[in-house]
This record gives sequence, C-alpha cells and structure tokens, in this order.
Amino acid sequence: MRALMHPTRPRSIHANLSLAFALLILVTVLIMSIISYYLSKDAVQETTQAYTTEFMKQVNANMKTYVSGMEHIAGLVAGSRQVHDYLSADRYPSLVEEKQAREGVYEYLHAMVATRNDIVSVSLFGEDGRFVSGSRELEVNPYVELRDMNWYRQAKAAKGENVISSSHVQPIFLDRHVWVVSMSRALYGKETGEPLGVFLVDLNFSVMNDMFADIQLGNRGYLFVVDNSGKLVYHPQQQLVYSGLKTEQIDKVLELGRGSFTIGEGSARRMYTVQDSGFGWKLVGVSYVSELVGNKERMGMSFFALGAVCILISIVLSVILSNRLIRPITQLQRYMKEVEKGNFDIQVPVPFSIEIGRLARAFNLMVERIKELMVRVVREEELKRTSELNALQMQINPHFLYNTLDSIVWMAESGKDKEVVLMTSSLAKLFRASIGKGEALVTVQAELDHIAHYLTIQKMRYKRKLDYVIEADDSILDCLTIRVVLQPLVENAIYHGIKNKRGPGMIRITAAETGGDLTLRVEDDGIGVDGARMRALLEGREDSGPKGGVGVRNVHDRLRLQFGSRYGLSFEGGPGEGTIVTVRLPKRALGGEELS
Amino acid sequence: MNRTWKRAAGMLLAAAALAAAAIWSGWLPSPAGGGREAQPRMIFVIKSVDPTIEFWQVLQDGIREAATEFGVRVEIVGPDNETDVEGQIRILEQAASARPDAIVLAATELNRLVPAARQAVEAGVELLTVDSGIEPDLASTMIATDNVAAGKAAGSELLSMLDRPSQVAIISFVRNSASQLDREEGVKSVLAAHPDIELLGTYYSEGYEQRAYETTLALLRAHPNLRGIVGLNEPSSVGAGRAIEEAGLVNQVKLIGFDSSDAEVRQLERGVMHATVIQKPFQMGYLSVKTALETLRGKRVPQRIDTGSVVVTKRNMYEEENQKLLFPFVRRQLP
Repeated sequence: MRALMHPTRPRSIHANLSLAFALLILVTVLIMSIISYYLSKDAVQETTQAYTTEFMKQVNANMKTYVSGMEHIAGLVAGSRQVHDYLSADRYPSLVEEKQAREGVYEYLHAMVATRNDIVSVSLFGEDGRFVSGSRELEVNPYVELRDMNWYRQAKAAKGENVISSSHVQPIFLDRHVWVVSMSRALYGKETGEPLGVFLVDLNFSVMNDMFADIQLGNRGYLFVVDNSGKLVYHPQQQLVYSGLKTEQIDKVLELGRGSFTIGEGSARRMYTVQDSGFGWKLVGVSYVSELVGNKERMGMSFFALGAVCILISIVLSVILSNRLIRPITQLQRYMKEVEKGNFDIQVPVPFSIEIGRLARAFNLMVERIKELMVRVVREEELKRTSELNALQMQINPHFLYNTLDSIVWMAESGKDKEVVLMTSSLAKLFRASIGKGEALVTVQAELDHIAHYLTIQKMRYKRKLDYVIEADDSILDCLTIRVVLQPLVENAIYHGIKNKRGPGMIRITAAETGGDLTLRVEDDGIGVDGARMRALLEGREDSGPKGGVGVRNVHDRLRLQFGSRYGLSFEGGPGEGTIVTVRLPKRALGGEELS
Repeated sequence: MNRTWKRAAGMLLAAAALAAAAIWSGWLPSPAGGGREAQPRMIFVIKSVDPTIEFWQVLQDGIREAATEFGVRVEIVGPDNETDVEGQIRILEQAASARPDAIVLAATELNRLVPAARQAVEAGVELLTVDSGIEPDLASTMIATDNVAAGKAAGSELLSMLDRPSQVAIISFVRNSASQLDREEGVKSVLAAHPDIELLGTYYSEGYEQRAYETTLALLRAHPNLRGIVGLNEPSSVGAGRAIEEAGLVNQVKLIGFDSSDAEVRQLERGVMHATVIQKPFQMGYLSVKTALETLRGKRVPQRIDTGSVVVTKRNMYEEENQKLLFPFVRRQLP
C-alpha cells in the first residue's frame, strides 16, 4: 500500500513488470467486459422485444381464429336463402307451415352451434319479434328490452356490416348471464332492401379469457385487450381499472395503433407492445423492463465472475512471466555482488535471451579485463619500487664517491685550496640535489643543475680530457622530469665513450621541446657503442650489458613506468661515431597539467 | 524484493476487489426495486374456501393477482363454511405457528378469534384484517368495505323509492358479526331521520335463505303496512325476495339487497329486488396484499382502508363498470 502512496519510491523491475502486466490485463478485461455486457444487454433487450412482438402476433392470430369463425357464421347466415325467406315472409298460411319454416332455420343454426364449442349461441331476432336460436333451451328474457342492447343498436347502425362487441354479459336470454363477445349483423331483404332483423353470434368469452390469462410475459408482465372505443375487452385487473385504483395507458395505445412504447420509472418501467387485430381490437402486451433487468443482473453477475477469474489468472500469469524475465537479471545481480566482494574468478552463465546474453558476455569480459589490469598494476608497482631503489643506488655510486674523495685529498695535499673548495661544494650540492625533498619529479632546471655539479666534479678530475656544454631553452626550464635521468647517461658517456678515446672529449647536453614533447639529449664524441646492442639492452633482451648498462636500463624503465610506453630513451650512432642518447618525456609544467 | 512483490500483489488484489465491488453494487438494484429481495410470505385466513361462493373466489383472485404483481408468496386457507368459527380458529392457530411475514384474516366472528390472533401478533407476525375485523382490534390495519357507508347507501336507496308513511324491516344474518352490525347501523342512521318511517326491527336469517324467506313471509302477513325491506347479505336478501314474490307484493314492497348472485340478478331483472349494494372483493384481495406489503416495508398505512361499494339497480346493472362486480368472472379452475 505504501508503494501506491509513494509512486516515486523505487520498486524492483519484477514488481513494476507484474504491476504493469496486471494493470494492462485488468483494464483490458474491464473494458471488454463492460463493452460486451452492454452489447449483450442491448441484444437481450432486442431479442426480448422481438420475442414479445412475435408472441403477441401468435396470440393475435389465435384470437382472430375465434373472430373469423364468427365472421364465417355471420356470412353464411346473411347469405342463407332459408333465413331470408323465413324472416321476410309476412305471414304463414298455417301455424304448421310457420313451425316447419322455423324448424328449418333452427336446424340450420343448430348445426353451427353444435360444431363449435366456443360458440354459446347463434340467434335471429326478426323485426316483428320472431326469434330463432340454434339452441332450443334459450328463451328471450322478457325483462330486458331488445332495442336497448348495444349489439342490436350497433348492428342496425352498421347497416349490414358485422359488428363486434367488447366482452360483456349477455342479458338477452332468460336466466343466462354468460360472458360473451358478440358479433351482430343487421339483415336486409335481398330485393326490397327492407330490414329483416338482426343476427347474433355469441362467443364464450371464457375461451379467450383463459387464453389471455394463461399468457405470462415474464413474472409480472401481462396482456390486455382494448376495443377501438377504449373499452377493455380483457384486462387481468379490470376491476381495479374501473374503480380508478389502476390506470392503464389506453389513450396512448389507441393513439399508437401498433408498435411499442415504454413508460414509467424505476421498477414500474414497462414496455407496451401493441398489436392491431384488424377488426377493431388492440392486443397489448405489457412487460416490465426491470425483469429484463433481472436478466441483465444475472448477465452482469456472470460477466463479473468471468472478469474476476480473468483477473486472477492475469495476476498469476504476470507473476510467472515477470519472474521468468527477471530471473537472468537477478542471477547477474548475484554474480555482481560476488565481484563487489572481490571475487574475480567467476564467469556468469550466458542466458538464452539476446539482451541479457549480451549483458552477461560483456560482464564476463569486463571481469576478465579487470582481473588482468589488477595483475598488471601489481606487477608495475613492484617494478617501480625496485627501479627507484636502483636509482637511489645509482646516485650514490660508491666508486664515484671514492674517486672524488681521492681527488680532493690529492688536491689538498697539493695545496690547491681553491679547487678543493669548489669540488667539495659541488659534491655537497650534487648529493643535496639528488636526494632532494624526496619527490619523484623535479624541474628541468634542477636536473640541469644537478648534472652541472656532476660534470664540474668530473671536469676537475679529467682536466683537459673532458669538456662539456649545457644548453637549454628557457621556456622549458620549469617543465618536470624524473629525478637523476641525466647522470647515468653522462656517466656512461664518460666511462664508455670519452675515457677510452685518444685526446679530449666533448659532452653536449641539450634540453628542448620537440614535436610537443620534451627532449633531453646527451651527445658525446667518444668511441661510440654498438647501437644494436644498446637497443637490445633497452628492449630488455640483454640484461647484463657493459658496466653502466644497468643504469641506462633503469632510466629507461623508470621513464616508461612514469609516463607510459611512448616515452623513454633512444640511441643514435655507432662505433667510432660518438653517441647521442635522447630522453623523451611529456611536456609538463610545474604545478600544471601536461601542456599541449 | 520478495516483500515488494507481495505488496504489489496485495495492492492488485485490493484494486480488483474494489473495482468488483463498485461494479457489483452498480449492477445490484436498490432493495426497493423488488427483484432480489427475499419474497415476503403471507397467509390469508379467509371465511370460506368453498369454490361455489363467488365473493371469496373473487377475493382470492384479487389476492393472486396482487401476489403476482408484487412478487409475494401467498397461501390462502380457511374453513369451507363461513359459520365454522371453531374451524377458523384452528386454521388461524396453525397459520400463526407457521410464522409467515404477515397474516391477513377475514374473521368469521368478532371476539372468539382474538386469542389465536394475539398468538400470531405475539409471534411477531404482522396481522391485518380483511372484510371483517375482530374486537379488540389487534390488526395493524383493516381492508374492508366501509359497511356503515354501505348501509347508509342502502338506506338512502330505499328512502328514495319508499311510499310514506310506512314500515320497514331489516333482515340480517348472524348476530355479533362486525360487518352486519355496521350495515345495520348505517341503514338505521338514514331511516331514523324520518319519523314517518317505522323500523319494525332486525330479524336474523342465520345465513340461511329459507330462514329469511320464512321470516319475511311471516312479517309481510303480520304487517300489511310493511313497504320496505333491507337484506343485509345475499341469502337474507334472496330469501326476502322469494317471500315478496310469493306474497304477490312485487313493486308494492321495495327490497334492497346486499351482494350479488344469480338469484339476486334474476330478482333484479324481474323487478323483485330494486337495488343491491355490491362490495368489491377483488379490490379487497388486491389491496390486502398491497397494504400488507407496505406495512412490512415500514410504510405508515391508515387504520382502515375502504374498498368502497356500489349500488346496482335494474337500470345500471348491465353497464360496463358494474358487470364485473355483478357477474364476477371467476377463472375456470383447472381440474
């Protein structure tokens, strides 16, 4: 939880990956679920609507078969010669004849009632009070007036058209109070057009009532039928509608004619599907939208369950996936820890994945290289130490010291006080300079002073045999060089070049800048040396050269250790030619970096 | 790292649960929406379950219609005979021990059902009465015809067609039935305002048509000035009508009846009976379910709910609104 509140707080890649995966899947699943939920919701609603409409059509068709049955009967009777004759006959010659005609019509009507058990009665009411019914037991109720009957008046008004009533109690028959739907039709003389009477077919309404009552539109939905004057033919709560406890959308149904509309709010929201029967009635199916919602709810639940399962799977998968991705990295991390501890003798197994594989290989290379460098550093440090030790030994070459002291003694004995003073002071300065303050680097100036003192002493010893010149550019006097570079070279020039030469020898020392580097040259015109041997000595192929070779080699090694392999000594010349030794070093000023 | 991971996983699960809860609650309808709420269970203890008595059959229709509409589980029980008070007491006791959410009682007797009713109330069952109540009134509400008003309507109807001065009699059914007492009171209150009308008294048919017939016949013979009779229920009215016909006093003696039946309709048609006061059993059944449900949901309901009554005469008996009341269409029972 704390990680959530501090989004900037660093998290492991593993957690990040898992989180990213899971969030990605979560969002995807959510969006998909919501979209598909709404799509299916609409689909379900549409299907329900289509189903309701289809269902209503079926009910309508069933209802119409009853009505068309009545229409069929009405048509037959209206076209019947026998019926016309009976009703239009003014007077019968005898009661027997009248009874015979009546009997004939009765048989005709009776056949119609007998074949249909949904028909309650088929009757003829003549203008002059003649009455024939298809059922013998029916009598006209003397307490009601025929002309007050709605079906009678409407049939008269319709002038020969079929008239269908709403559902009602038929009071015209004595002691019978049956709920019926009546179809009535006024009959007229075929030739004369005079009114003959009214024909009545009563359909037992319980047939329809049962059909309607058994219809279930969901748990709470229902169906009602309204005629075109707005009277309810059938409604499961007809009494509540009459007493005003319930209101029904009759006006809206009549206005619409056919189709569907939705009304109400919340759990009372209902969808009305109106079907036109074609004979004046409207069949209306009422289904509660909240029941579709009930379906919706179940659907929502299953979507939710599915989503939850998907999310769980996604979490597990993201853990496994990120774990697999991360494993080589954590392995690498473990090896790095080892290296951190100083163990360089390891090799990371190279994993299969390309990126991590490269990383592992690079890491292995790096570890190897570090190992190599460390070995080298150790070796070089060691070398430096021994070289410096050698250099120190070089400075205090005992033979030089004995010889010099001998010379001083000899000069003192000879009473050459001035020379004694000079030599002694030079010797003292030489030692002071070579010991210095212990620092590794000194200025060129100091080095040149040092060699000047040395040459002063040697000059006093060799007299005319030795001459020397020291030349230096002023610009480089402040540059740095390692200590005691020139002394071994000069020593070498004296002992191996000039000493064995006939006549005086000349040593020229120059300090200059060449090609951005600092060069110190020691030139002699002695007997020369074998250049090849000297080079071999410098490259370390020959370690024990002539005497003094060790000193030269030491200078070379120290230069390279201090400044890198680019720098060091080089030789020119050969036997009988004299020798030039060049010291090359980077040009660095005192207290500054390398000068370009 | 392991801990970080666990925390992340926990977070994810929490987020998922949160999202789920949000969705869940969004999908669930509010409890008022119905649907998901456990269906309330109600037991109706009515006066008679005899399938030939239209009044109670229509009332049952109303109950079932409302039960379907509001999603209530209902059970309808009662004795076969309206006069079987002992039987109804037993049935009420059983109903109370079944511990439904509500019991709706149509009491056959004013006082004797009280102990059983108290048992139900003390068991935590919501008690309502329909059609006929009990005394003392333990029910939270009563759904019935306002019988005083119905009696007044009958009295006024009689008054409007009565020759004066004249004598009037009331044929009632059982003594000590709440509904009959109220109706009688209603009739009397209207007639009492007219000193030229003498009320002979209230006579009891005990619910038998024959008894009413005999009583009325004797009254007609004994009181030649008897010009008006009010029958307070169906057998009392029909029996009185038969006596009037028998005595050849049709039109001379005005008869106002209560309730409806084939016999009453025929008497209306023949002009023997001049009007009948019809109750609305379908409304009673329907409203008793609806009101019980509202009470269970904690809504305040009035102490009494009047379902109303209608005066039907020969003139308006075939009007659309009255047909359903006069000729209750009882659904054909499945075998």
